[in-house]
Amino acid sequence: MGVEAYVFYVGERKKQSGREGAGKKKHINNAGIPLPSKTTNQVNYMNEFKNTCYQLTGWLSGLCIVAITLLLLAQIIGRLFGFIVPSAEDFAGFALAAATFFGLAYTFNEGGHIRVTLLIQRFSEKGRKWQEAIVLAMGFALTTYLTYACSYMVYESYVYEEVSYGYVPVPLWIPQIPVAFGALALNLAVLDSLIKALKGEAPNYVGHEDELAMEE
Amino acid sequence: DKWHMPTPYGDGNLPTQIAYGFAEEIKEKTNGDLDITVHSGGSLVKHTEIPRAVKTGQVQAGEIFLGILGNEHPVYKHDNIPFLATTFEDAKKLWEAAKPSVDKQLNKSGMKLLYAVAWPAQSLYTKRPVTQLSDLEGAKMRAYSPSTSRLADLMGTTPTTIQVPDIPQAFSTGIIQAMITSPSTGVDSQAWDYVTNYTEVSAWIPKNIVVVNKRAFRRLDKETQQAVLDAAKHAEEMGWAKVAERAANDRAKLIENGMNVQAPSETLVKELQAIGDTMITEWKAEDPKEVGAILDRYNP
Amino acid sequence: MDLTIVSLILAVGMLTMLAFGVWVSFTLIIIGGLGLVLSENYQVGLLFSTSSWGASTSWSLTALPLFIWMGEVLFRTRLSEDLFKGLSPWLGGVPGKLLHVNILSCGIFAAVSGSSAATAATIGRMTLPELKKQGYSERMAVGTLAGSGTLGLLIPPSIILIVYGVAAEVSIARLFIAGALPGLLLVALFMGYTMIWGMLHKDELPKHTDSQVSWSTRFKALKQLLPVVGLIGFVLGSIYGGITTPTEAAAIGVTGALVIAGVTGSLSFHSFMDSLMGAVKSSCMITFILIGAHFLTLSMGFLGIPKELASWIASLNLSPMALIFYLTILFVVLGCFLDGISVVVLTVAVVLPMVDAAGIDLLWFGIFIVLVVEMSQITPPVGFNLFVIQSLTGKNILYVARAALPFFLLIAVAIALVTMFPEIVTYLPSNMSQSG
Ligand code: NA
Ligand code: NA
Repeated sequence: MGVEAYVFYVGERKKQSGREGAGKKKHINNAGIPLPSKTTNQVNYMNEFKNTCYQLTGWLSGLCIVAITLLLLAQIIGRLFGFIVPSAEDFAGFALAAATFFGLAYTFNEGGHIRVTLLIQRFSEKGRKWQEAIVLAMGFALTTYLTYACSYMVYESYVYEEVSYGYVPVPLWIPQIPVAFGALALNLAVLDSLIKALKGEAPNYVGHEDELAMEE
Repeated sequence: DKWHMPTPYGDGNLPTQIAYGFAEEIKEKTNGDLDITVHSGGSLVKHTEIPRAVKTGQVQAGEIFLGILGNEHPVYKHDNIPFLATTFEDAKKLWEAAKPSVDKQLNKSGMKLLYAVAWPAQSLYTKRPVTQLSDLEGAKMRAYSPSTSRLADLMGTTPTTIQVPDIPQAFSTGIIQAMITSPSTGVDSQAWDYVTNYTEVSAWIPKNIVVVNKRAFRRLDKETQQAVLDAAKHAEEMGWAKVAERAANDRAKLIENGMNVQAPSETLVKELQAIGDTMITEWKAEDPKEVGAILDRYNP
Repeated sequence: MDLTIVSLILAVGMLTMLAFGVWVSFTLIIIGGLGLVLSENYQVGLLFSTSSWGASTSWSLTALPLFIWMGEVLFRTRLSEDLFKGLSPWLGGVPGKLLHVNILSCGIFAAVSGSSAATAATIGRMTLPELKKQGYSERMAVGTLAGSGTLGLLIPPSIILIVYGVAAEVSIARLFIAGALPGLLLVALFMGYTMIWGMLHKDELPKHTDSQVSWSTRFKALKQLLPVVGLIGFVLGSIYGGITTPTEAAAIGVTGALVIAGVTGSLSFHSFMDSLMGAVKSSCMITFILIGAHFLTLSMGFLGIPKELASWIASLNLSPMALIFYLTILFVVLGCFLDGISVVVLTVAVVLPMVDAAGIDLLWFGIFIVLVVEMSQITPPVGFNLFVIQSLTGKNILYVARAALPFFLLIAVAIALVTMFPEIVTYLPSNMSQSG
C-alpha cells in the first residue's frame, strides 16, 4: 500500500469532514442552531483549508503516538541485545507532551473534549446560542492566555539555556515548541468556533457531540 | 512573608526532616515574619521542575538532588563521580572545595545556595555475591545518567535504564541484576524483597541542596536574611551530624531483614579505584579550568 | 481570605461552569487559576506552563495513549466479536449473561495496565458496541464497565500503588501482592451483584438462552478466545518474564494488536489511520483533563485546603475505626473534585503520620486508599472513568455516574469488608518469601 492508498485516504477524509459531514449534520443537529447557509466558493475553500489544518494537527499528534510506541519498543529490544537507547524515557515524555498538545485543536474541532451537555441541551434555541457564544468567549480568553504562557515557557527555557536532566542533555525549548504550537492551534480553533457562533452558525464540535448523542 | 518550599523526597527521608527543622527555626527566629511551608515528596512541584520553579520565582525556595543538574554544568557532577570521595569526611572536604563553583553557577541562573544535606554512600546491590568485577560480567546494571551508564560500562556490565518505581519488579523479573544506590533507598523500597547482596563499595556520597530565589531573598530585610542564613548553617551542620547515624541505622536494617551485607574485597576495591581514576580524568576533561579548580582545592 | 469561603467559591464555580457547558479541561484550569489568584499568587501563567510540562511529560503516563490505541485497533478487528462468541456458551446460563464479560475482561486487563482510565477505555472500546448490538441494558453495560474499570488501580501493576509506596515508604512489591485478593474480592462482588440484577431484570437482557449448551460446544467455543488470550498472555509474559517494565508493556500490547489485526486481515492503511486518530482524540482529551487536574492540584497545594481538612481530622484524636470512617468521607468528598492520585499526593504528608500514630498498618492503608480512589474515579463531576465512558458512548457524565452508583456502593462494601477482615489484604504479603 503506498501513495495511492494515501491519496485515496486523504480524499475520503475530506469528503467526510467537508461536504458529506455537513450534510449529515443538517439532519441531526438537535441543538436547533442553523447551519452554514453561504455556499460561495470562497467560503468552501476557506473551510477546506481549515479542515486540512485541523486534520494536520491530528496527524502530527498521531505521529507522536507512533513515535512513543517505537521508542518503547526500541528500549525493550535494546535491553534484549544489550544496548541502551539514550534518554528513551525523556524522548517518550517529550513525544507524549507533543501528542497531547498537537492534538488539542483536532480533538476540539471533533467534539472530543468532553463537557456536561445535560443542562444546556434543555436551553431554548436562543438561549443555547448565547450559551455557546459566552462559553466560547471564555474559552478564547483562556486559550489566548495559555498560548501566551506556553510560548513564554519556550522563550524562558531558551534564555535560561535549560537542558533535560537525563542521559542526553536536550535543550528544553526544542521539545517545548510543540506545546506552544498546540496551544496556539487550539486558540485558533476556539476562535474559529467563536466566530461561527457569533455569526449565528453552529460550531463544528456541536455537530459531533450530537452525532454521539444520536448513537444512543 | 509566606514562602513555599517544595522538596523531592517524602517525610521519612533525612533531607526532608532537616527541611522542616530549617523552616521551623526561621519562623521562630523571625517571630513568624517569614513562614516557609515545606511541600514534601514532590507534592507541589515535580522534582525535575523544582530548579525551574525556583529560578523563575514560582516558589521562593526549593530542594534539589544535586545530581540532576549534571547536564547544566560539569561542576555539579562532583556530586556523583565514583570513588572520588567515599567517606563522609572526604565528602565534606569535596563539598567545601566544590561549593564556590556551585554557588557561582547557581548565582548565574538566579538562585542562591543555602545548604546541602548528604545521603549515605551509594553501594552495590546485586542478585549474586560479588568479590571481583568478573562476578558481574554480563549482568545488567541500572543506569540513570551518563555517569552511571559510563560506570556500568567500565564495570563490565550492561547499562539498563529503569525508572525508580519499576526497580522492584525489574529485579524480581530479571530485567536487571545489579544497581548502585544508597542504603536509605534500599530500606525505603524494602530491597530485601527483591535482591540479596549488598556490597559496601561506597562509590560516592550524593547530596541534596536547598536553594532560594535571589530576588525573593533580596526582598527580605537584613535581619530576616541573617535568620535564613543562620538557619541554613544549622541545617547543614545537622545534616552532616545525622547522616552517618542514618547510614548506620539503614545498614542495620538491611542486615536485620536478612540481606547479605559485605565489605568489598581488596581486589574489588582496587578494580573500582582504577575505574574511579578513569572517570575523574574524563570529568576533568569536560571543563579543565573549573573542574581542575575543584580538584585542586579538594586535594592541594 | 478564609479557606472555607475560598473552598466554597471554587466548588460552586466549578459546578456552575460545568453545568453551563464549559469543557471539563477548561473548567479545571480556570478553577486552578482562580484558586491561585485567591491565594494571592499571581504567577498563574508561569505555574500553568511548569505544571503542564511536568504533567504531560510524565513517564508513567506514556502508557495511556498506547493502551487506548490498542483498544482502537482491537475494536476494528473481529477480536471483540470472538471474545463474546467464545464466552457466551459459558456465560449464557449465568444470570447477567455476557455483562460478566465486562467485569472479567477488565479484571484480566488490569493485570496488564496500571491505570483505570486505560482499562476502561481499552475494554470498553471492545465490549460496549457488542453488548449494545446484542441488546443488553445499556445502563448496566456502562455501569459494569465504569465499576470494573477501576480494577486497573488495584490489581498489579498500579500507578497509584507506586505513588503511595514511594510516599509512605512501603514496599511496592508487597503492595502489588496485597492488591491481588481485594481485587478478586471486588470482581466477586461485581459479578454477584450482576447475577442478582440479572435475575431481577430478565426483560433487560437478550432473550436467547444458551443455557442448554453441551460441554463439547463450550470447549469448541474456547478456540475463539485464542487470539485474545494469546495477546494478553503475551503482554503478561513479557512483564513477568523480565522482558519489559509495566509501562513499556503498552508498546508490546499495541504491536501485538496490530499483528493480530494484520494476520486476521482487518488491517488496512485506512483502518490503521482511523484507529490512530481515534486514539488521538481519546488520549488527547484525557491527558488534557489530567493537565487541568494537575494544575488544580498545584493550586490546592498552594491554598492548602486538603491539608487543612486532613489536619482538622488529625486534631480530633479519633479511634482507628472512626479515623478510617472520617478519612473515607474526606477522600470521597475530595475525590469528587480532584482526581484520585492528586488526593493521595496532597494529603499523604498529613494523613500518614496520624494513621501511623493510630497503629494502622501502612500496607493495609495503601490498599484502603486505592479502594477509596477507585470510588472517586466514578463520582461526578471529576471522575476519569466517567469521562472515558462519556467519550466512548456520548452518554452524559451524570447518566454514567448513576449507572455506576451500585458499583460505587459495592466498593464501599469492599472497604467495610477489608476493614473488618484486614487479612484479606495482609495474608499474601505476610506469606511472601523473605529471601526474595
Ligand atoms: Na493494574
Ligand atoms: Na470523582
